[in-house]
Amino acid sequence: MIRFEIKKIFCRKSGKVVLLALAVLLAVSCYMPIHDTRYVNEQGETERGLGAARKLREAKKEWSGLVTEEQVKRVLRENRRINQTAEARSEEVKKQDIAYSWKQGFSDIREMINSAFGDFQEYDYFKADSVTETEVGDFYSNRPAKLKEWLETDQMARGEFSEEEKAYLLRQYEKLETPFYYEDSDGWQHLFEWAPTVIMITVLILGFLTAGIFSSEFQLKSDAIFFSSYYGRDKAVRSKIAAGLLTVTAIYWTMLLLYTAVVLGALGAGGADCPVQSAGMSSWKIFYNITFLEEYLLVTAGGYVGCLFMILVTMLVSTKTRSAVAAVMVPFLLIFLPAFLSGVVTNRVLGLLPDRLLQINLALHYFNVYRLGSRVIPAIPILFVTYGVAAAILIPMLYHSYRKAKVW
Amino acid sequence: MELVINDLTKEFEEVKAVNHVTCTLGNGVYGLLGVNGAGKTTLMRTLCTLLSPTSGSILWDGQDIFQMDGQYRKILGYLPQEFGFYPDFTVEDYLMYVSSIKGLRPAVAKRRVKELLHQVGLSGAAGQKMKRLSGGMKRRAGIAQAMLNNPKVLILDEPTAGLDPGERVRFRNLISELSEDRLVLLSTHIVSDVEYIANELLLMAAGELRYSGTPSQVIASMPQKVWKLRVSRQEVENYLHRYQISNLKAEADGVELRILADQRPHPLAAQAEATLEDVFLYYFGSQVFMQEEEGDCSHRLAGKWGRGK
Repeated sequence: MIRFEIKKIFCRKSGKVVLLALAVLLAVSCYMPIHDTRYVNEQGETERGLGAARKLREAKKEWSGLVTEEQVKRVLRENRRINQTAEARSEEVKKQDIAYSWKQGFSDIREMINSAFGDFQEYDYFKADSVTETEVGDFYSNRPAKLKEWLETDQMARGEFSEEEKAYLLRQYEKLETPFYYEDSDGWQHLFEWAPTVIMITVLILGFLTAGIFSSEFQLKSDAIFFSSYYGRDKAVRSKIAAGLLTVTAIYWTMLLLYTAVVLGALGAGGADCPVQSAGMSSWKIFYNITFLEEYLLVTAGGYVGCLFMILVTMLVSTKTRSAVAAVMVPFLLIFLPAFLSGVVTNRVLGLLPDRLLQINLALHYFNVYRLGSRVIPAIPILFVTYGVAAAILIPMLYHSYRKAKVW
Repeated sequence: MELVINDLTKEFEEVKAVNHVTCTLGNGVYGLLGVNGAGKTTLMRTLCTLLSPTSGSILWDGQDIFQMDGQYRKILGYLPQEFGFYPDFTVEDYLMYVSSIKGLRPAVAKRRVKELLHQVGLSGAAGQKMKRLSGGMKRRAGIAQAMLNNPKVLILDEPTAGLDPGERVRFRNLISELSEDRLVLLSTHIVSDVEYIANELLLMAAGELRYSGTPSQVIASMPQKVWKLRVSRQEVENYLHRYQISNLKAEADGVELRILADQRPHPLAAQAEATLEDVFLYYFGSQVFMQEEEGDCSHRLAGKWGRGK
């Protein structure tokens, strides 16, 4: 029965078009992060793609290891040395690019230094150029210190967080184990950069595919035969739900795993055990103490929970309205509506909307924490539990709603 | 084995689509006759548990069919008036799918599908997509799906609608062939569909069961006599206003009318044997004409001038 339900989805011309669209999406999604990888060679020319990724990996390999004070000093010294070269001092862009090519190996650590010593809110690319070796002792301690300062002095932060929430954020910052282990993690970072796009478009396409599972009988007028059959009010309905969930699961994970395999295969999977803060820039401020591999698990699992939730809502709307057109709008609304709600509802509310599950790597950067009784809980676990439970509740709702359908 | 319909009523808001219908059906072919909107489809959909009744009950061998749930649907075969299917499925896939939701094991289903395809004359089209079939072939696929579980209760709602006369005859014969040892309820507004194959007729109008009985009983129930009379074309209008005309046949030297009347309408009128079509007109006359005015001309009744008494 499930086999036929799946066949119903894919035997239509639209089903085949959708599969083609998924293949195109996958190809483009794999191409973009690889194409985006840049390496500036010693002639100051920018290279892109697989070769660039390989050269960049080689350049960064030399700087792998624990980011100790000594390592930070080494970076500062090397940075200073390069800054004093004629190429770095030149007004000529080409020459500056040559100077930059010498910095690529330690550019990630340099970014960490920029974040550690710069303003908490503003990223200053040139900060590392003015940091002295005597300040290096504050490299890690600056992180919680600057958060504390921001929480106490920034007008918005003061109004946004309760004392318990501030204390929670500080505790999280202090819990981060230092010194970090650093390794080139460009593969993961590029993977995360495009992951929300891949996940969101996959969800939209899945919405299109599954919107008809529960409305097709009504639209094709085959509802009378379906519901008057032996299993029409029980097992056949369960088969529809199973077909929907199987389709979603198979396509989602195929897309994500292929995307992962191609991107990491091309750009390298090194740095999986490094903390996400080692990516520097805004990642430096992430209060979730996780590694890149853990971030990957959160991104993919979160996307899956969000996808399941949205598709189940789609299927429920398809059952209630008996229209695939109305149902196919659901993922669009759930994904794009929050963008229009910004400014209308608070960040706290936005932080709990289901679209966040499809972009966990971005959600990691927000200071969204919530008080639940005496406990402070960050947004991501709440999102997982809320929408996981909601998806679980939607399944029996969908079943009962469809099996009780009347055929006029 | 019997299906007892007991004081069944189905209301949609203010409208009583089925109004206190009571009857008992056993094995055999039952022709449910009535004009469009008489409540036939609502009655059939309720018998198929697709709609729940507002009041009354339907019992199969003493058990309420809604409480029997799947056990009742297991013995049910249904071909709806609007036979919907999955256009991109092949005929074989479609029948295998319906077999699965009817609870047939795959091996049994495969055998049964093959048998039925042969029986309905679609063996050669098994691999064709449903959307490529002609109207008649689709209907035959429809009857095949209804027969997959070898149902004890076979409900066919307007199975011949949209078929050409040849297909209609073939379809009628097929139903007759399949009707052994089961209850077949066949709705139609075309009298000839059931004239030869129904053991019993149920005449339905405005949601009510007006009359039921064997075809000869139904014919005998009509108090009016049937008269044949040849008139000139100019006189036709006059007769149409005064009598119910069940048939009007234009010929070179005039028009032959088939008139329903208690008394001889004209000294030259000759009494004829009543047919089911005459009875149909007698019971549903005004509604038939109303439908004809709305453009449904499939009744082959009096024609464009018709105004019954």
